[in-house]
Parts: sequence; C-alpha cells; structure tokens
Amino acid sequence: MNCTRRNFLIGGSTTLFLSGYFPKISFASMQKKNLIIISLRGGMDGLTAVPVIGDKRLKKLRKKLILEDVLNLNSDFGLHPKLEIFHKLWQKNQAAFVHATNIPYTGRSHFDGQNLMETGAHIPYKEKTGWLGRGLLASDIIGKGLAISLPMPLLLRGVPQNNNFFPSPDFVETKLIDQIYNEFKGEHNELIKSTLDTIRQRPLSMQIATDSDDRKKLALEAAKQLKDQSGPRVAVFDLDGFDTHAAQGGVDGAHADELEEVNKIVTILHENLGQAFDNTLILTLTEFGRTIKQNGGYGTEHGYGSAILMAGGLIKKSQVYTDWPGLKKKELFEGRDLNSTIDSRAVYNSAMSICFNQDPEFLRKEVFWGDELPDLSQELFKI
Amino acid sequence: MSLNFYRRVAFGLSPNETPDKDPLNWAINQLDTIPDLLWPGTIPTEKDLRKKYGEWVYGDREVLRKKFKNDKHAYRKAKDELRIKTGERYFELNEHAIRHFQTKYSKQPVFERFWLFWGNHFAISEKDFLAEFSTGPYQREIIRPNMVKTFEEMVQSVTTSWCMIHHLDNSESFGPNSKKGMEWGETINENHARELLELHTVSPNAGYTQEDVIQLAYIMTGWVHKWDRKNLETGDIWFDQEMHQKGDKIVLGVKYKNDAKRELAKVIHDLATHPICIKFVSTKLCRHFITDEPTDEMIKPVIEAWNKSNGNLIEIHKAVITQAYKYNEITHKFHPPEIWLMQLSRMFDLNIPLSFEKMNYTFKSKPNNRQRQLSWILREIGHSPYRAKQPNGWSDLEVDWVSPELLLRRFWFASVELPMLVKSGNRSHDFILACLKNNFEDHENMASLIENFRFGTSDYDLGQKYGVICNLPGVLKI
Repeated sequence: MNCTRRNFLIGGSTTLFLSGYFPKISFASMQKKNLIIISLRGGMDGLTAVPVIGDKRLKKLRKKLILEDVLNLNSDFGLHPKLEIFHKLWQKNQAAFVHATNIPYTGRSHFDGQNLMETGAHIPYKEKTGWLGRGLLASDIIGKGLAISLPMPLLLRGVPQNNNFFPSPDFVETKLIDQIYNEFKGEHNELIKSTLDTIRQRPLSMQIATDSDDRKKLALEAAKQLKDQSGPRVAVFDLDGFDTHAAQGGVDGAHADELEEVNKIVTILHENLGQAFDNTLILTLTEFGRTIKQNGGYGTEHGYGSAILMAGGLIKKSQVYTDWPGLKKKELFEGRDLNSTIDSRAVYNSAMSICFNQDPEFLRKEVFWGDELPDLSQELFKI
Repeated sequence: MSLNFYRRVAFGLSPNETPDKDPLNWAINQLDTIPDLLWPGTIPTEKDLRKKYGEWVYGDREVLRKKFKNDKHAYRKAKDELRIKTGERYFELNEHAIRHFQTKYSKQPVFERFWLFWGNHFAISEKDFLAEFSTGPYQREIIRPNMVKTFEEMVQSVTTSWCMIHHLDNSESFGPNSKKGMEWGETINENHARELLELHTVSPNAGYTQEDVIQLAYIMTGWVHKWDRKNLETGDIWFDQEMHQKGDKIVLGVKYKNDAKRELAKVIHDLATHPICIKFVSTKLCRHFITDEPTDEMIKPVIEAWNKSNGNLIEIHKAVITQAYKYNEITHKFHPPEIWLMQLSRMFDLNIPLSFEKMNYTFKSKPNNRQRQLSWILREIGHSPYRAKQPNGWSDLEVDWVSPELLLRRFWFASVELPMLVKSGNRSHDFILACLKNNFEDHENMASLIENFRFGTSDYDLGQKYGVICNLPGVLKI
C-alpha cells in the first residue's frame, strides 16, 4: 500500500481554495453535457468494488470474501472482475474511482441514509428536494431531467417538468390522449394538460411496452434520449439489492450480481451514447459502505465509507482518487468501518459544475447550503 | 349540489346507490361510529402477524444465513421457501383485499376516506418487513378504533404502537445517563422524536429547535419492544426504565419533571393540543378534501370545531365535511391513484378485490397471479399504499402525482387491465351510461366521447371506452 495521505495532499485539492473559478468558453462547453447518476441502494461495498491490494488485515477479516481474480488498476487498488467496462474505460482514461468517501452520514440506517444521499442534507427528512433537482434549478436547466423510475426520485425533485421513463407492462395507446385532450380546459387542468403534451411529444421509441425490470431496454432508451442534443441532460437510474448481509461472496457472490447490473447499464450507455459519451459523466451514489469484517453469514453489515464509480468522456484521467485512511483498527470509523475522508457531495457538486457549466462555488451555496465542499473539478474532471 | 361531492368525500356511487336528497347530512351521519370490517375472509390480528414477522426474520437472519453461508443459490432457495411458509409474500395482498373490499362496500364510505387519511398522516413507510406484515393491521387496529376518540388519544396509541416504534427506531434510543445507556455507551436515536414533532403533531411551524428534538427523544427513551433471542425485535412494546433518561426535560419551553413512563403522556397532551398542531392538522385535512392550497377561511371552522370539542375527531371530521360541502362547487382536487382506483371499483362495480374464497392461502406455494393482481395493479399505477418512501407518507398535492409515466399508467390500467375486471353482466354500453349518469352531471358529454364504441363489448372495445372515461379531467379530479 503506497498510497499515503502525503501523496494525496500533493496532488490534491488544497490549492483549490485559493484558485478562483474561470469558466472557459470553448466549443466543448457549447456541447450538451450529460450527467448520469446511478443510485446503488442498500449500501455498496467499496472494498468489494475497488479492493485494496495486499492488505493483510483485510485478508484476515474477510477470509471468505476476498476476490481471486481482481482486475488490475494500479499498485494499490484492483477492480472487481464484474466491473469489466470500467476496466476497459480505465485504459482510455475514461473511468476513475473516488475511494473512502461517503455522504456525511454515520447512522447506518438505509432509510435515513438513502434520504440523505438524495437530499444532500445532514438531517433525515428535513429537506424535501434532491441535490440534483436543486442543482438543475440553480443552473436554470428546466425540463431536462429524466428519471428511469416510476415515481419521480427525491434526487430530482426541486425542479419542475422532469420526464420519467418506466414503461408500463403493456403498450398504451397514446391516441386515447388525443380523444380527450381538448376536455382539459381551464387553469386548474393546466398541469395535467402540459404533462399530456410532454407525453405526446415523446418519440415513438419511448412509447414501447416493456418489462420495467428489463434494465437493458431502459438504459438503451436513456442513451438514445441523452444523445439527442435537445434531449435530457440528466438521467437517474435506480438499483437496489446491495444490502448483502449474507452470502456476499467474492467473484460470484450476491454483491457481484449487483455490480454486474451496474456494469450492464454503463456498458449499454457507453455503446449507445456514441460520441455523446465524450460529453458525459456517469457517477454512482450510495448511502454507505459496509463493514470491513465479514459477519457470521459471510456477508457484511452496514458501514460508513464507500466508493464512487465514475465513467465518461469528461473524466480527467484514470485514477483512484483518495485520501486513504487505512484499515488498521484505530484507522477505522468506530473501529469497524472504512472511514470516509472525502465528503462525496464535493464530488457531486464538482460534477454538476462541469455538466451544468456552473461555478462550483455558486452551486455549493445554492445546493448544499454553503457546506465546506472543496472543488474537485480540476482533479477529477475535464474542465 | 353536484354529484362530484360523492367523490370528493367518498368513492362515488355504486350502481345500486342513488344520490341522497341531503348529501351533507348523508355524509355527516357516517362519522359517529366505526363501521365493521366487511371482508368475509381472514382478518389476522396485528399480534399474530408480528409473530409471523418474527418467524421470518429469525429464520432468515439466524438460521438460513448461517446455514448457507457458502452458497448463494441454496440460500436464495431456502429463503424463498421460508417466504412461503411464513406468508411473507401473502399477508400484504390480503390486507389490500380487506382495505379495498371495505372502500367498495362500506355503508360509511366517508368514514373510510378519513381512515385512509389518518393511515397516511401517521404513515408507516417502506422499511424492513413492515409492509409485508404490519402496516395493514396497524391501520386496522391502531388508527381505526381511535377515529371516534380525540386526536390526542390517537397520537398516544400511534406513538406507543409496535409498528411506529419499529418504523422510527425508538427501540434503539437509549438515554445516555440511563443504566443501560451508561453501561453500553449508547445514546439517543432522535428519529421518532423528530417525526412526532414534525409530521404527527406541531410541524416545523412551531419553531422547535434541535434541543427540543433531543429533549423529546429523552422523554421517549425506554419505550421499546421487548427483545429476546427467538423473537428478536418483534416483542411487545413496554417501558424499559433502564433505558430511560433520568432528570427533567424541557420541550417547547415546557418543563417535564423526571417521572419515568408518565412523561410521554404529558408531553403528547401538550403537543396534540398545541394551537400550531391544531392548525397544521386542520390544514392538512382541508388540503386532502378541499383543495391543495386551502385558505384560512376554509380552515377556520375546522379549528373552531377542534377547540370546541377538545380535539374530538368525530366533530373535527364533521367540520371538514361541512367545509368540503360548502366549497364543493368552487374548488378542485386531484385524486391520487389508489383513491381513483377505489372510485372506479365502486362506481363501475369492478371485480376487485378477488373473492375471499380465492384469496384463501395454504402457505404451500407462492400466491397465485389472481391473488397478486390487486397489489400488482396498485404498484403499477404507482400507489402501493403501505410502501410510501418516506415517513411523511403519500403526498396530497397534485404536482407530486402528475408525471408522464404516472399518467400513462392510468391510461394503461383503464384501457388494458380494467376490461378484464368488468363483471360479465356489466359489459353492455347501457351499463356504462347508467354508471356515468349516476355519478356525473356532464354524463351526456362523457357518453358522446365513447359513442363510436357503443356496440362493442369486447375487451378491446371496453378498453377504448374506459381508457377515455377514466382519464377525463372530471374523473382524475373533482
């Protein structure tokens, strides 16, 4: 393990507090940039996705969970073999990871944690809008959010006119809408009427009927929409099942199955975004990581620090960006969890600033109540 | 008075009901007593289902996880078998049937609307296995009997119910200076205290501080489920003095002397009778029945009824209905998917829920598709009642329910699923016309929109007709 705190500080963000923000107007910034968030509900285990290599303590504590054939990233970290696409993109400087990071929440409840990962706040249920919705609103980007789920996720709330895509099990004849459209009269029917407009303007491809569990089709459609220069700029996917209290396993365990899902979505997005992939950032989001030590059921419990998986053409370079806290007992959070040394909201704030062409300082104030979140744009993303 | 009043405060009129001469009186007379649950099938008790919950979590957590730690496939298989044996996949379906049978056939549909309201005000959101085993019985056994008592009594029952305590983690809250708190180095979990203030009683309008939340959490320490090795967290609620924070507490400027388990009743009394609580809950009631943005003028008589009756819910409900009646012609209200479905089921006498004989379950195999149908529909239209995402329950605001997909789901249900739920004797065009006439002033205009299909009785034709009717502005909203 060569990665030390010192390394981090040299290459890190300390200078950023001093540097002002100078938006560059270039051709690239005229292009529509896409931000895609994949929510990993249940608590994604950063140490399974991006395992630290050669750590004796981890080996000892996770006898049954250690991966055999990790993909090589660098001398310190490997990658779970199911995350193939990230490895492929890593070779092209289009994938990176932030490690030992989490939202500032240590309570270990899914319920509260998922609320906070979406609101970006400190107190569960206090905020009723999501950080992404607020970021879009502050950047004056209206009607450009696309949720790949049935209810509008909390993450996107706070900005009006988002679209969502989660087709019903059977084909819906939208010509029924034409038959009743003119019946929606008066101000009190405006909202429904304008939503019917959104439906009628949908491309044919969004009118398919499909099994909503078929994430492939959903991702394919999302890619199509995002590729369109006048289409959505933000998409939100929802995955669950990361709460592996038992049979978490290594290469083929329950956690691996979930990582495979992430891999599938990113693969489809990458294949189908084409050139637009160059102007895209894909980031994962989770409520917490998992305990270092395996439990009696060869699974893990709710922990704290996790990792963010990142892909896209707007990634600066392939790297595991971390202020590695170590895995010795005294280095762990409450003696049991990987610590979080980077507030993950700083990563999301920086990503929004890149994709929305917005001053991170401004977003920090508008979206995160001025919380101290260093600008990581220069470290992580192409400016 | 428009016929839409029957949908504003109830579920519309079924084919064998006729409009009352005095609709206000009709509605108000439904609120004095608790109607019996009509479901002829099994209605298990909360305690029985909690036992099943216990068998499920114990079996999974303590037995299967250890037994199959090396084999995820065998683990999944064994877990599925346990699901069947404990009814983990069944009881929620049965609860939905009980609920929808009630809203379809109740002779006091206005009462039932308030039942839905309170179940959602004191919402149990999707957490652990509450939706599977507990939220239904909680709404039947905790919410329902309290609807003819005072608001304060309802808050007391809810706050010390197993379901709410589990939902909001009060069992994990230790007074830091209590015996167990000191021994184990544990402290409070504020979750329940915060929601008791924010959602259940005074709302943030009361201007409470973080310190108020902490102090209330101190008062609430000790109200926990009894834990044992076999039942894990599913034991009865009791007061554990050894977890209770010692000393006086101050909430919203009122001092509560160190008085062990009696502190909670005192603080709930003060919160439930607080003028800001009365205004907050009255506003919410008006929002549910009258319009998304009720005015002070609309709310005032409800507050007065509250004050005059010392929070008697019967009187409060009557005042809400009186106001809903008064403003019926000049306000609009959007119906969330589940209420829309209940109304369609009652107005058009649809075949939901499934008959109790067919809902009968043997615990030997997975529930069949027919048994799962109602719950599946509810999920597909975006409103599975026991699975609100957050403790603030389902929204009462139109803006939260109008998304492209959610509207499309209604078109889907009405044009694809609904025809299969039409009873064989009700497939004629005349039947639809009669139902429309019974429930809508502008039934002639509605009929004209489906005129083209008047001779059709196939599923497709019915789908075309219901697809149009059910999504008209006057049906989605009143």
